[in-house]
Amino acid sequence: MSGPKRLGTPRLARVRASDDGRPLAVDGREVEAVRESWLVEDRWWTDAPLRRRYWEIVTTCGRDVVVFRDLEGAGWFTHR
Amino acid sequence: MFAYVIVSVLLPRFELVVASGDRKALLGEPAALAPEPGKEQKIGEVSLAAEAFGVRRGMRLGEALARCPRLALLPPDPLGVADAWDAALERLEGIGAAVEPQRPGLACFDARGLLRLHGGRVEGVLDAARAAIGASVRLGAGPTRFVAIAAASRARARRPEIVREASALAGEPVGLLALREETAVLAEPLERLGIATLGELAAVPRAALADRFGPAGLLAADLVAGSDTPLRPRPASERLEETLEPPESRSGEQLERALEILIDRLLARRERRGRTLRAVALSATLVEGGTWRERIVFREALADRARMRLALGGHLLKLPAPAEALRLGAERFGPPHATGRALFDDGLAQRRARLREAVRQARAAAGPDAALRVLEVDPGSRIPERRAVLTPFEG
Repeated sequence: MSGPKRLGTPRLARVRASDDGRPLAVDGREVEAVRESWLVEDRWWTDAPLRRRYWEIVTTCGRDVVVFRDLEGAGWFTHR
Repeated sequence: MFAYVIVSVLLPRFELVVASGDRKALLGEPAALAPEPGKEQKIGEVSLAAEAFGVRRGMRLGEALARCPRLALLPPDPLGVADAWDAALERLEGIGAAVEPQRPGLACFDARGLLRLHGGRVEGVLDAARAAIGASVRLGAGPTRFVAIAAASRARARRPEIVREASALAGEPVGLLALREETAVLAEPLERLGIATLGELAAVPRAALADRFGPAGLLAADLVAGSDTPLRPRPASERLEETLEPPESRSGEQLERALEILIDRLLARRERRGRTLRAVALSATLVEGGTWRERIVFREALADRARMRLALGGHLLKLPAPAEALRLGAERFGPPHATGRALFDDGLAQRRARLREAVRQARAAAGPDAALRVLEVDPGSRIPERRAVLTPFEG
């Protein structure tokens, strides 16, 4: 290992979402309930601002998953 | 032929049969296992005749006697049950089965590896199992553990039941879920909700079961859909035990002395081959009749006399009556010990030295990335990837 390696780096997630951005299925598993949603904005004063809409959801198999949509770039990610 | 062949071996009312000993006639009468001394006043297994009076296992003693005033109570014999069950499992292992015991009287094994040993058919394996255990055994076979156990529970004494798929159990009552410890709590509420059979349960959406019953509901959905966790057979057993019959007093200090002798004898046995002990079983034959048995798992595998005495001494106080004979057996072994570490001389410097050596060996075997440390950089950050990093472990 060359240097320190970050833990929990975002990984691409397959998310199907409704028109208002609410996740309907994550990695092929239907969403049973949305527990919480929050917005994270950071580094807005730099050239590489960070804007993410996080969703904590429960899938039909009972798994609790946190996914986010990158509002600056595009795509859905998870931290697992 | 199905993909998986799990065979279930069921010995009905095993604990009651063992406790009845020579008095087998009692089993034809209303009889039940008395509550264990010092424990909750609930009866154990009950005979068929007692069931006819509405007496059930786990019922409070007072209620059981109110339902059946001539209920005969047999003193429980946990030591005899453990011995008889172990002997039965060994006989099953004798036909080549890797057995997963569920509880005394119920075990499962995967028959696929045995087919060619016993004529290439499941029936041959079932015949061999019956020959090993005896004619009273109920045998069931199916693609999963749950299906096999359900099959065994509806099998007759000389006719094994083979269920090809989980859907064949659709007409069976949801009470079968009680055969599995994790799903036992679901049987009654499901019946109250009007779900009487496994087929009706299979029609309920998974999400609804998860919502109402949590993990147990999800497991029940899996079981009725024909999926189950893999079997975990017990490791090949090794009988290592010592028995002592104290000549005079059967409690107090003499019993403690007897325990010390048993520990010394057990540790001195050649078959131990320097291994530590992870779990032991302490049991006693009681003067008043019946037996007592307690399984003790040590916090750390050990082979130190003094620490074993400390750990086991307290359990002698739980003896419900004076003991006629005391027995100590090794249940599970730990790793071999080279120096027999003592309790208090294990200083920080020594532990660090051992850790450094372990890291060195791990890196020598698997490269420099074999030992890393999680370093918290900004643990309160709202951005998860900024909270911690992996860095090389510095001993």
